[in-house]
Amino acid sequence: MAGNGKILKAILNAAIFIALEIAALSMLQSNGTLQSTWVLKGIHAFHAAVWGKTEEVKYYFSLKKENDRLAAENFALSQKLRHYLVSEAEKTDSSWTGEGGPVASGDSVYTGRYSYRQATISKISNNRQRNFIIIDKGSEDGVLPQSGLITGQGVIGIVDAVSRHYSYAISFKNAGMTVSARVGRTGPVGSLIWDGTSSNGAVLNEIPHHIAIERGDTVYTSGFSSIFPPDIPLGKVGDSRIVDGATYEIDVELFEDFRALRYVTIVRNTGREEIDSLVSQQEP
Amino acid sequence: MKTSQNFTIIYILLAVAQMVICNYFRISPYIYVTILPAMVLCIPLKAGTPAAMLAAFGTGISVDLLAEGVLGLNTLALVPVALIRFPVLKMLMGTEMQEKNYRLTMRSAGIWKMLMAAVICNALFLAVYVIADGAGARPFWFNAIRFGASLVCDSILALLVIHVLNPEER
Repeated sequence: MAGNGKILKAILNAAIFIALEIAALSMLQSNGTLQSTWVLKGIHAFHAAVWGKTEEVKYYFSLKKENDRLAAENFALSQKLRHYLVSEAEKTDSSWTGEGGPVASGDSVYTGRYSYRQATISKISNNRQRNFIIIDKGSEDGVLPQSGLITGQGVIGIVDAVSRHYSYAISFKNAGMTVSARVGRTGPVGSLIWDGTSSNGAVLNEIPHHIAIERGDTVYTSGFSSIFPPDIPLGKVGDSRIVDGATYEIDVELFEDFRALRYVTIVRNTGREEIDSLVSQQEP
Repeated sequence: MKTSQNFTIIYILLAVAQMVICNYFRISPYIYVTILPAMVLCIPLKAGTPAAMLAAFGTGISVDLLAEGVLGLNTLALVPVALIRFPVLKMLMGTEMQEKNYRLTMRSAGIWKMLMAAVICNALFLAVYVIADGAGARPFWFNAIRFGASLVCDSILALLVIHVLNPEER
């Protein structure tokens, strides 16, 4: 009760103080030329500070919307770039038939042999030996198992199971997952696998030891996989060592920060079924 | 009752004295002679902070109206003094202030504590006054010298004002 009395007293004092000071400032503003400018300047500064802060708060709460918009814009620009690259390939490669040219269909965009679709990560695990990712697109959105998840900075995972609205993917940070990768755009090809310990470390195996590898070289997807398109930058070459006297084992520092991931692109090889059936026909 | 009447009369006379000082005693542009913070400091504690703030507002506006200067300047600077008066005295005097009908005198508080209270109140008053009077048009060094010189002068004068407003009981 005594505490309430004190609070009320403090509020009353503050109210009277503010009222009297405002009255004094009003008198000052209307009676002194210099003071008038000074008070107005102060009021403007106060307005700017208050409105500036409220705008900052508003901006903070609209960040998700802004991020979504930027991700959509980024996806659209990536698609334009892929179209451009395919068009260039058509011009320079006489064997190109044009059948796989860029075609937009619904939310998916077909570029060459691959179709792309944007997705947002709903859940991701990073601290296990077998990590997973759940994305907000499912069978209703046309997602199929064995589709790849990529970003502009690397391979993220492979879709393993699909429900109506969500898909479950095996993260690249999984002890059992390998990606066919190449050192440079035309260099030797090997298997890239997560190192199992660090958040951005991977190991590139099976690189022939007679080929010179420079530290800092970029590692790209090879395109030999039926899941991921070629030339996605994955990381850069670090230390290397010869294993069993035959091949290099190269440490790769991944470009993608899995802890900051929010948006991914689902990529599907439209010729995958055909490739698989061809392989199954040839196998005994 | 008599003490209260005496205080009011002396308080009004001191306000008139401040008007005279403002109009006729301009020692230097670097010194603003004021006894207003000391007067507000001496308002009886039993009056309470809201009453002290209203009294400070009234005193400030009277001086602003009747002395040469910008209306609102003394008022603006004096109201904060009334607001901090009680906490400052509580901080310096401690439990002595809790006594009923405590009167602020040199004897009850001691000269150094009184001087310290006067310095704090004058410093707040002068900080607001010098900044508002300068209105961002005067250089910092001018304001700083004006503040320092006025603080020394007004704090000494404050001891006299406190003695006049709250005389020792003989």
